[in-house]
Amino acid sequence: MRLPRFEYIEPINFEGALDLLYIHKDNAKVLAGGTDLLVRMKKGLLKPKIIISLKALKELSYIKKDDSYIKIGARTSIADIIASDLIKKEACALFEACEKIGAVTIQHYRGTIGGNILQDNRCIHYNQSAFHRSGRQPCHKDGGKICYARDASDRCNSTCQSDGATALMALGANITLVRKGTERIIDLDNFYTTDGIMPFAMESNELLKEIVIPIQGGKSSYKRLAYRSAIDYPIVSAGVFLKSSDTSKNEIEDARIVVGAIARAPIFLAKASSFLKGKKFNDISAFKKAADISMDNASTFAVHNVGSTLEYRCAMVSEMVFQALKEAAIVTQE
Amino acid sequence: MATNISFILNGDEISYEVKDHWTLSHLLREEMGLIGTKEGCGNGECGACTVIVDKLAVNSCLYLAIEVEGKIVETIEGLASTSGALHPIQQSFVKNGGIQCGFCSPGMIMSSKALLDKNPDANHEEIKHALAGNICRCTGYVQILESVEAVKNMGGQNE
Repeated sequence: MRLPRFEYIEPINFEGALDLLYIHKDNAKVLAGGTDLLVRMKKGLLKPKIIISLKALKELSYIKKDDSYIKIGARTSIADIIASDLIKKEACALFEACEKIGAVTIQHYRGTIGGNILQDNRCIHYNQSAFHRSGRQPCHKDGGKICYARDASDRCNSTCQSDGATALMALGANITLVRKGTERIIDLDNFYTTDGIMPFAMESNELLKEIVIPIQGGKSSYKRLAYRSAIDYPIVSAGVFLKSSDTSKNEIEDARIVVGAIARAPIFLAKASSFLKGKKFNDISAFKKAADISMDNASTFAVHNVGSTLEYRCAMVSEMVFQALKEAAIVTQE
Repeated sequence: MATNISFILNGDEISYEVKDHWTLSHLLREEMGLIGTKEGCGNGECGACTVIVDKLAVNSCLYLAIEVEGKIVETIEGLASTSGALHPIQQSFVKNGGIQCGFCSPGMIMSSKALLDKNPDANHEEIKHALAGNICRCTGYVQILESVEAVKNMGGQNE
C-alpha cells in the first residue's frame, strides 16, 4: 500500500519544529513513530502536505524523576517506558498499558507514548480503506452528516482506543503543549473533548512536549480486553488508582477509576470512584459494587463500533474494573 | 521531492535517491528488487514486512525510507552466506516444517533473528512474545515456534 505524496521535513531542534508548525499549521502533521499516522495516510484518512519528523529531536526522549513528579518526554518510545523501573514502581498502570500496545515489532522503538495518547479516535466504519468508504455517504468524521455506528446520530461516535491515555488519566497525569512563544499545561481530563471528530483540545500549531505524572504514593493498575494479546486495540479497558489514608493503611482515601475504549474519550467515573473512598482494601464486595456502578455509568456512552457486541463490551467494563481494583489493592497491601 | 540517503544494507554500503513518501518496504521491493521482504497488510498488523533496523525488528511498511539514513538494515536476503548456505534459523525452519505457504516466513525469520541475536537462550515465552506481531495465515504457529526453539540446539553451525 502506497503513501500519498508529501514533503518530508526533519527539523534539527525543538524550536525548529515549532517554527514549522507555526508556518504550516493544518497542512502539516507531526511524525514520531508513524505507527498510527502512516496507517491513516495510507487509508486516505489524512492528507498532510508536509510531514514534520521528530527523528532528530532526541531531547524529547526521556523519563526522569523531578521532586514528586515523573516527567516523560513525548517522543519516548514505548519500549523505553516498559524498561523503566521508575514507571514500574510509581506508575504501574502506565507500564501495564504500554506492555499491551501493539506488538513487539511496533513497540520496540517506533511507537512513542506521545503518539499513543494523541492517536485519533477510531470506528470500524471510519477506519477503512478509501475504496470501502467511497461506496457510501461520508460519515461525520469523514466530513459528512451520517453516523453508521448509531442510527440517526447527529454527531460522531468514534471511540478513543488509546491504552496510554486511559492509564495516564487514572494516574492524574497532565501534559505540556507548546507552540511558538508560549506553552500551557493541561490535565488529561480536560484535554480529551467529548467530540469524536476533534478528540483533543489541541491547536494545529501545538506540539506535545511532556507528560507529567504526579507521584501520589498510591498504587495503580490497568486491565484491558482485546481479541488478541498483541496487535489489537482494546475493546474495553480500565485504569484505576488507589491510595491509602495516612492514618490507616487499610483504608482507601482516594480512588480514580477510568474506563477506556468505550466512549469518545477515556471517561473518569466520578460516582464509582467516590464510592470507594473510606472503604477497606480487603473489601472485595465494595470493589464488585464499584465495578458495577462503573458499568452502569460507562454503558450509556458505549456504541457498537469497535468490534464485538455492545452487550459483551458493557458487561466486561465491570470485569475489567474489578480486576484492576483487585490488583491495585493486592499490590498496596504487599 | 527526492533525497539522497546512504545506509548499510545487508553489510553493503548503499547510496540511493529516495522520494519522501516511499516506505522502506517500497524501497526494498519496488525500487531495489529485493522482494524477499513481503508486504501483507501494509498497516503494521501482520508483520510480513519485518526487517531489522539497527538490531531491532521493525515493520518496513510503516518506516519511511528517508528515515533509514545512516542506519544498518538487514533483510532476509542478507541471511544466507555468500556460498549460498542457509542461515541456521532458515535451516531450522526448513527442517522443522516452519514453512507452509512461505509468505510470513521472511518476517517470522527476521523477528526471530532480532530476538536470538539479543538473547540466544530465549525461552518459549520470550519467543512467543517476540513473534506476537507476526501473523501466519496457514496457522502453522506450533512448527514455527518449534523451529525457533530448535535453533538453540544447532549451536550456530554453518555460520
